[in-house]
Amino acid sequence: MPKSSPMVHEARLLGILDTAADGIIVINAKADILVFNKACEAMFGYAASDVLGKNISLLMPSDFSVDHDRYVSHYLETGERRIIGIGREVRGKHADGTVFPLELSVGEAQTPDGRQFIGVIRDVRSRKAVEQRLNQLQAQLVNMARVQAIDEMGAAIAHELNQPLTAVMLYLQAVIRKTSSDTASQLAPQTLEILNKALREAERAGGIIQRMRHSVERREPERQACDLNALIDEALELVLLGHDIEGLQIVRDLDAMLTHVHVDPIPIQQVLANLLRNAMEAVRKSDRRMIKIQSMVSGGQAIVNIEDSGPGIPPDGLSNLFKAFATTKKSGLGLGLMISRSIAQNHGGDLTVDGGGDGRGATFSLRLPLIVGSHEQGIADQ
Amino acid sequence: MVIHIVEDDPGVNESLRVLLQALDHVVISHSTATALFTAPLPTQDDLVIVDLGLPDIDGASVIRWLKNLSAPPRVVAISGQSQKLIDRALKGFQALTVLRKPLSGDALVSFIA
Ligand SMILES: Nc1ncnc2c1ncn2[C@@H]1O[C@H](COP(=O)(O)OP(=O)(O)OP(=O)(O)O)[C@@H](O)[C@H]1O
Ligand SMILES: [Mg+2]
Repeated sequence: MPKSSPMVHEARLLGILDTAADGIIVINAKADILVFNKACEAMFGYAASDVLGKNISLLMPSDFSVDHDRYVSHYLETGERRIIGIGREVRGKHADGTVFPLELSVGEAQTPDGRQFIGVIRDVRSRKAVEQRLNQLQAQLVNMARVQAIDEMGAAIAHELNQPLTAVMLYLQAVIRKTSSDTASQLAPQTLEILNKALREAERAGGIIQRMRHSVERREPERQACDLNALIDEALELVLLGHDIEGLQIVRDLDAMLTHVHVDPIPIQQVLANLLRNAMEAVRKSDRRMIKIQSMVSGGQAIVNIEDSGPGIPPDGLSNLFKAFATTKKSGLGLGLMISRSIAQNHGGDLTVDGGGDGRGATFSLRLPLIVGSHEQGIADQ
Repeated sequence: MVIHIVEDDPGVNESLRVLLQALDHVVISHSTATALFTAPLPTQDDLVIVDLGLPDIDGASVIRWLKNLSAPPRVVAISGQSQKLIDRALKGFQALTVLRKPLSGDALVSFIA
């Protein structure tokens, strides 16, 4: 039978030990294990009878057990604390050799048998796994977002620059043609030469724009069958991460039919994250903070509506909303919606908005075709 | 021949008109599809330049409307959008010329000639 310490003699305490969700280990000054509760048995894969009386280093990876011996003797000699009363994350070793993270807080007791240490241990594997997955997702998304954003931004800016550049080229050509055909308004040859040079430079800018556009146009989305609802939930998870979600109501109304939508998951998730982030930011100052996400099938399309209880978007703000650098935020780039629409359109879908107003917030609608068909091939022009 | 322009971007609209007038064409320009619909009909001798990204009615519908006139004018589409969007918008049209922006005056002039 295990040698019990006076510290845990009381029956009440023993009961607590075995029903505690946390692992509890008591060791003496020589680091021999005196108490090893049920939760510890589950965590480490040892029966109490296997470990009682053995050195605590049995439960640690070897690199750490060396340190541990040093901690204990250091503390005993100097009284200086490294772990005791502080609590920290350490690594434990399972009976099968697996090393896993755990949270350890250590208390100390003076007993008639000498000094003892009581360790409370929490297995943080599941929390770790979630954190890791989120970190991974986020890193992936940030990275993708960068690559994609540069391309999409290039394409969208190319599009916006096209209009003024077209006007510049046409004006210049108008002057050149007018003055060379009409003797009355003829220009000095030097002036005409300068205008021609200006036109060539404008054409050069046009060539650059075309190259920017081409690199994106050639790229097709890498489609695979995706569970759109899962993408929504992941994006949600990502956006909520690290935000104050106190009082924020999230309403999900997802259509179970949307498990096989053929899209490129990462950019689509990026669109969803952009829309959700905007919605979160829109409701920040509202009395009632609500975001409603609805997915459904209609007219051969998957539709995701994201509605918020924010202030909505004034009608005069709607026309520029999807253009580059349209932002009302201090730290915003004003690229989120532009990139999102471009991704939606590249998938053969679209992104539209109902600005709301009069107490209604904005509703953004992402539409994606369910059947990817021949229209993707397109027709040739010119 | 009258050249009709349907283009909502003011800079592109006006520069097109200025260039075509410099080439001695008679030009009528509109900034919306609605304005074109409510103006005197283009005739068979005319040319209509239609921007695909109009604010009120999409350019493809305007072109369809023009092609269905009993004496349809010649039509050229202009667009600053991606090839994919142009293809999708103009699906089903045969032998339609699309000039992409930035638009060079030369391409336009050689089309008119
Ligand atoms: N749900 C919404 N409610 C109200 N206004 C919105 C909403 N979503 C977007 N907006 C407005 O549209 C603007 C553009 O949004 P967009 O996502 O393109 O850029 P951003 O959020 O400002 O910056 P970022 O590039 O970091 O996303 C915002 O600055 C905001 O004014
Ligand atoms: Mg945004």
